[in-house]
Amino acid sequence: MVCAMRPTHTGKAGDAMMLRVENLSVSFRTDEGMITPVEGVQFGLDAGRTLGIVGESGSGKSVSTKALMRLLPNSARLSANTRMTFVDKRGETIEIEKLRPGSRALRRLRGGEIGMIFQEPMASFSPVYTIGNQIMETIRLHRGLKGAKARELAVETLSKVGISNPSARIDQYPHELSGGMRQRCMIALALSAEPRLLIADEPTTALDVTIQAQVLDLMHDLQRELGMAMIFITHDLGVIAQIAQDVAVMYLGTIVEQGPVRDVLQTPAHPYTRDLIAAIPRLDRLEHRLHTVPGEIPSPSARPTGCSFRTRCSDAIDGLCATKTPPVTDLGGGRMVRCHRHYPERTAT
Amino acid sequence: MTDTLIEVQNLEVTFEIGRRGLFSGAAKKLRAVDDVSFDIKHGETVGLVGESGSGKTTVGRAILRALEPSGGRVLYHGETGDLDLAHARKDEIAKVRGKLQMVFREGGLDLATLGGAALRAFRPRMSLVFQDPYSSLNPRMTVRDIIAEPLVAAGLMTDRKQIDARVREIAARCKLNLEHLRRFPHAFSGGQRQRICIARALVARPDFVVCDESVSALDVSIQAEIINLLKDLQEEMGVSFLFIAHDLSVVAQISHRVAVMYVGKFVEYAPTEALFFNPRHPYTHALLTAVPQADPDIEFRPERLEGEIPNPAAAPPGCRFHTRCRFARPKCSAEEPQWRQVAPEHYVACHFVDEMDFSRTIA
Ligand SMILES: Nc1ncnc2c1ncn2[C@@H]1O[C@H](COP(=O)(O)OP(=O)(O)OP(=O)(O)O)[C@@H](O)[C@H]1O
Ligand SMILES: Nc1ncnc2c1ncn2[C@@H]1O[C@H](COP(=O)(O)OP(=O)(O)O)[C@@H](O)[C@H]1O
Ligand code: SF4
Ligand code: SF4
Ligand SMILES: [Mg+2]
Ligand SMILES: [Mg+2]
Repeated sequence: MVCAMRPTHTGKAGDAMMLRVENLSVSFRTDEGMITPVEGVQFGLDAGRTLGIVGESGSGKSVSTKALMRLLPNSARLSANTRMTFVDKRGETIEIEKLRPGSRALRRLRGGEIGMIFQEPMASFSPVYTIGNQIMETIRLHRGLKGAKARELAVETLSKVGISNPSARIDQYPHELSGGMRQRCMIALALSAEPRLLIADEPTTALDVTIQAQVLDLMHDLQRELGMAMIFITHDLGVIAQIAQDVAVMYLGTIVEQGPVRDVLQTPAHPYTRDLIAAIPRLDRLEHRLHTVPGEIPSPSARPTGCSFRTRCSDAIDGLCATKTPPVTDLGGGRMVRCHRHYPERTAT
Repeated sequence: MTDTLIEVQNLEVTFEIGRRGLFSGAAKKLRAVDDVSFDIKHGETVGLVGESGSGKTTVGRAILRALEPSGGRVLYHGETGDLDLAHARKDEIAKVRGKLQMVFREGGLDLATLGGAALRAFRPRMSLVFQDPYSSLNPRMTVRDIIAEPLVAAGLMTDRKQIDARVREIAARCKLNLEHLRRFPHAFSGGQRQRICIARALVARPDFVVCDESVSALDVSIQAEIINLLKDLQEEMGVSFLFIAHDLSVVAQISHRVAVMYVGKFVEYAPTEALFFNPRHPYTHALLTAVPQADPDIEFRPERLEGEIPNPAAAPPGCRFHTRCRFARPKCSAEEPQWRQVAPEHYVACHFVDEMDFSRTIA
């Protein structure tokens, strides 16, 4: 396998990336046998940058990012050649795939180094403690502050995420807040540990556009202020265009195209990316029939041979796409694509 | 017969909340829909947008009489004559049930978006909600029986063969496999479940269907398929849709006209192009700037709406938007703006609609 992805406009050449994922494959034992919903995923991320991940439901977005925090259930297995390296706050390199379950290093990684926010805010909060108690507990665990100091910091974080009257809100329970406020409190909870990397899994999908705009704004500002890196999972390409610098498009467990957001959205190289972009309803083009991706997404237990997209691809090459897995092609400028249509271009140069 | 199918006049829906609260006896009233008037034509799709809690679902359910309106009229100009749905007797409603249908966002009520107080007010009523004739897919019925239900319930068909034929016809139209008809709904993906809901809603050849967040939980590619399907079925059958969604781009794609709701009231109603390219109400304009476009070169400068959306139980006096409107003046909090026509088919409720200039920089 070639070329681990490196965005072009990173810092000095030669310095280690904050996060590097190579050959990430995840299998599950199920009643119907082994399935491998994530296969050979690779990407890298530098401090202060945002990677967007898009793809249809079931394409493996959540499974790949949960693997990064070792949050997968016991029935999950990482392949032997999976490598996930992360440079922590102290500048030490952690090999995530080697961390032992329940170890101190893993506890420090979760929350302290890598924070996560979920689509459903209630998943991160316990209903029986106040918002403040939960944020203060995180602050105690990951930043070693207690009592009045921790409370002060918690109030400050809440006000940073735009909660008005934070010193009163801090004593409320999660169910007493509106959906948008809960979402912002969850971001405050994740941020209170000052993680180096924040993974956001569909954080705005359930929100109204107005509140989504506030949350996106906020995440932008906080990132600039804290230099935090982000992985932003969403199926909304509009959100990707506004928040991410790089984007990875997933289909049936593999990244089929990756690169700077502007290039990928304006000149998509992979047939699936093209279909996906054409299917989005737009505000500036009305009365036009929406494009659809033909056929249905196969289940990961019946992944097609050769190129996994070939059953729906309108560009498939006879005798090639059904038999040979397309290799990763480096298109230059930090772009890569996994499609036979682009492969000859590389061998030509 | 006019080309108007549904005429909503001064519709009002009031919920009693906190009955067993501190002030026992005096039930607090929440006016979820307040003085809403609009019409829907034959074969037309009217989009309804607005933030969560603004009253969209309540409007849809009140029109169908899935809940009791507390005021106003809902005139239905059907084949068999005119009927005021808001005041019709139960037996009169039962007769037209097959003609008036609803498609939910599969998965039922979205409790996650209800606030704490609203949720507590809601819980005791939940069973009621699920029992109503428009509730979502019953897990214990086969897909065939689910789709056939409106035919059977309205007594439109009794012959099993005839029913089967009609179910197969509409299922095929909605791209459901005949194999699927014998299965139970849990075995289906989100997109397929949505198609089952649509087949069920359309099986009795209705005049009018309320689609409430019907594509909101779906992937873009499946969403596009469902939108195209609804458009095709409308062309074939001449059915009218009230299409409720919080995603403005989806609404823009499917609707002929669009209404914008804010805290229980309509603030603007206009043909789709006019609403999206020439909005006249400050709230509509703010909503539109908040939609991120899938092109990094289109500038994204969402207008910040200060503060929270008001609770309808304590709606601000005057114009309800005045607490967040950047154009608000003293008159706005003192007087309620009139609902008036500003262009053909274009209605707005704002005191200063004639002097609006949205290019004014945002402070
Ligand atoms: N614990 C598990 N056991 C077996 N299969 C699983 C498990 N968790 C996930 N999967 C399967 O892995 C695949 C990828 O799931 P994943 O949750 O990553 O999708 P996703 O891209 O996040 O989708 P969505 O957009 O719906 O959130 C799916 O086919 C799913 O059914
Ligand atoms: N059965 C009910 N009892 C009490 N309040 C309700 C009930 N149904 C809706 N509401 C309230 O009415 C308002 C409008 O709700 P709804 O029509 O569901 O809004 P939308 O569909 O626009 O999100 C909200 O404040 C909601 O909490
Ligand atoms: S490899 Fe072949 S089937 Fe796959 S996306 Fe490219 S052209 Fe289509
Ligand atoms: S009436 Fe006043 S507050 Fe209301 S929208 Fe118009 S300008 Fe704004
Ligand atoms: Mg997911
Ligand atoms: Mg609703």
